[in-house]
Amino acid sequence: MTMTAPKTALPPAPASGRGRPGHRSAARRREALTGYLFTAPTVIGFLVFILGPLVAALYLSLTKYNILTAPKFIGFDNYARMFRDERLATTYGSTVLYVGAAVVLINGFALLFAVLINQRLPRALTYVFRSAYFFPYLVALVYVSIIWQALFQKDTGILNYYITALGGERIDWLNSSEFSKVSVIIVDTWRNVGFAMLIFVAALQEVPKDMVEAARMDGANEWQVFRRIVLPMISQATFFNITITIIGAFQIYESIIVLTRGGPGDASRSVVMYIAEVAFNKFDMGYASAIAVTLFVIIMLVTMVQFRLRKSWVNNE
Amino acid sequence: MSNAAALPSRPGAGRPRSGKDGRRRRPRPGVGKTVSVVLLVLGAVGMIAPFLWMFTTSLRDASQAYDLPPQWLPTEWDWSNYVDAVSGPVPILKNMFNSAVIAIAVSIGMILTAPMAGYAFAKLDFPGKNSIFVGLLSSLMVPAQVTIIPLFLLMRTFGLLDNPLSLILPGITGALGVFLLRQFFLGLPQEIIDAARMDGATAWQTYRLIALPLAKNAVSTLGVITFLGSWNAYFAPSIFLNSTDTATLPLGLVLMLGPYGAGNVAQVMAATTIAIAPALIVFLVAQRWIIASLTQSAVKG
Repeated sequence: MTMTAPKTALPPAPASGRGRPGHRSAARRREALTGYLFTAPTVIGFLVFILGPLVAALYLSLTKYNILTAPKFIGFDNYARMFRDERLATTYGSTVLYVGAAVVLINGFALLFAVLINQRLPRALTYVFRSAYFFPYLVALVYVSIIWQALFQKDTGILNYYITALGGERIDWLNSSEFSKVSVIIVDTWRNVGFAMLIFVAALQEVPKDMVEAARMDGANEWQVFRRIVLPMISQATFFNITITIIGAFQIYESIIVLTRGGPGDASRSVVMYIAEVAFNKFDMGYASAIAVTLFVIIMLVTMVQFRLRKSWVNNE
Repeated sequence: MSNAAALPSRPGAGRPRSGKDGRRRRPRPGVGKTVSVVLLVLGAVGMIAPFLWMFTTSLRDASQAYDLPPQWLPTEWDWSNYVDAVSGPVPILKNMFNSAVIAIAVSIGMILTAPMAGYAFAKLDFPGKNSIFVGLLSSLMVPAQVTIIPLFLLMRTFGLLDNPLSLILPGITGALGVFLLRQFFLGLPQEIIDAARMDGATAWQTYRLIALPLAKNAVSTLGVITFLGSWNAYFAPSIFLNSTDTATLPLGLVLMLGPYGAGNVAQVMAATTIAIAPALIVFLVAQRWIIASLTQSAVKG
């Protein structure tokens, strides 16, 4: 609703003081100067802290650099080295698993809860649910991971207490090579589901009620209504959520530090943890930059493929 | 492709059930809703339970911290863990102060720079405007891991490692805030701006006295989001700061937790409760704005 106003205001209305041609260029020049001044701090910050470092990372990725001696240009050796690096393959394997799990679990649960919450429930109830699901998202990933690592403890943790109480076996959540990854996925899903849910709820509220009613009148069952009307109508939100969860999951870092320290061995280590280790423990800055640049390119490619596919399934514009 | 295919089928797994309920709902309107509420309650309990456990554990003696079956409600109100947590070997209070200084500085910087740029992109005309804006926006796609190594070297060159400035300087500008505020200013009727200019106000006066006050809510939201983002940050601080005295609170807590959770769990939970407080306050005070501004851009594209 709020967006209809800017649409009409968007074509720049003739500004004042532009009436006389002589005035016009001077006023324009002044306006342009103001524009540059207003944007200068942001642009400078962007150049110094994002674009500059990005270019520097590209350069460093082509060098051997250990901080103590000057960078030595070695062409694409670092990139070639990546293909022989088994630890990198392991960490990429885990990271891809985290990304896949995030896309499916976060968005699956978020959509389920969003649909449930979007029924005509009492206002207070809706508010309580929305708040409860959203709160973990506001708390630092480090803090929630600290809580979860206590809950995950094998002998003293609450999770295993309830599992054994129900007749199950104790699970070594943090120290087995399979379950360490599961733990990371659980915390990631738990923390992010609320945000994705809010996006879905906002989208669901935009679905025209009369359209849904009309379909029901025509004899469509609830599933058909959902599949044929609701889902296409919220595809914009679905697209946004999937993109955000992919980008986020590729960068999983601090939850693993707190929960498993990447272990056992490299079992739960993510690519980002590996980059930090190579760069700041081994001071192999060139190689770490090459891995980081590659990760960036992969995230960008996945996002671009998403945007491409968007045309085929996002129902908008 | 797999995403597109996987997603619709995924909610489908849980959906047919409520679909059936939905069909039954017409004769018996209560059933579908009851099932939904039960599921939602289960989910909400799962969201809140870890925080509840954190809080009750923080009020208990460390020897009882891992008592099973777990006590979900406080059995005693013993605040000594809080005292011990802040007077332990990790200077938690100092770390909190460091976090606050950085978060406040970054927020102030952001609410000074971002609205100004957002206004310029929305309401002023200057050559290259659109390409500059697109360039800025694309910076949102650059993950922190790519720039962290050059940034580390930059900070090292200027002697800013282990110094809060290494986190403040890169934090005071950012594309997200510019984007949010541009959206807001685009919605501001051009007539308001024109009227001010007609009355002889300079561009700066128009911005400062007319446009900015109208953006109060958007600016507050930006400030809150920026504060929380900085308060919660771990990756860059863990790399730029390397002494317990300069450490921010998340770093201090990880230190306190110790390797493999070996620290005193009751004290760790007490410190974590303190660390979460700002998020809780923000949540209680500003939840509505934050949700509105976060969801708006996603849904309305």
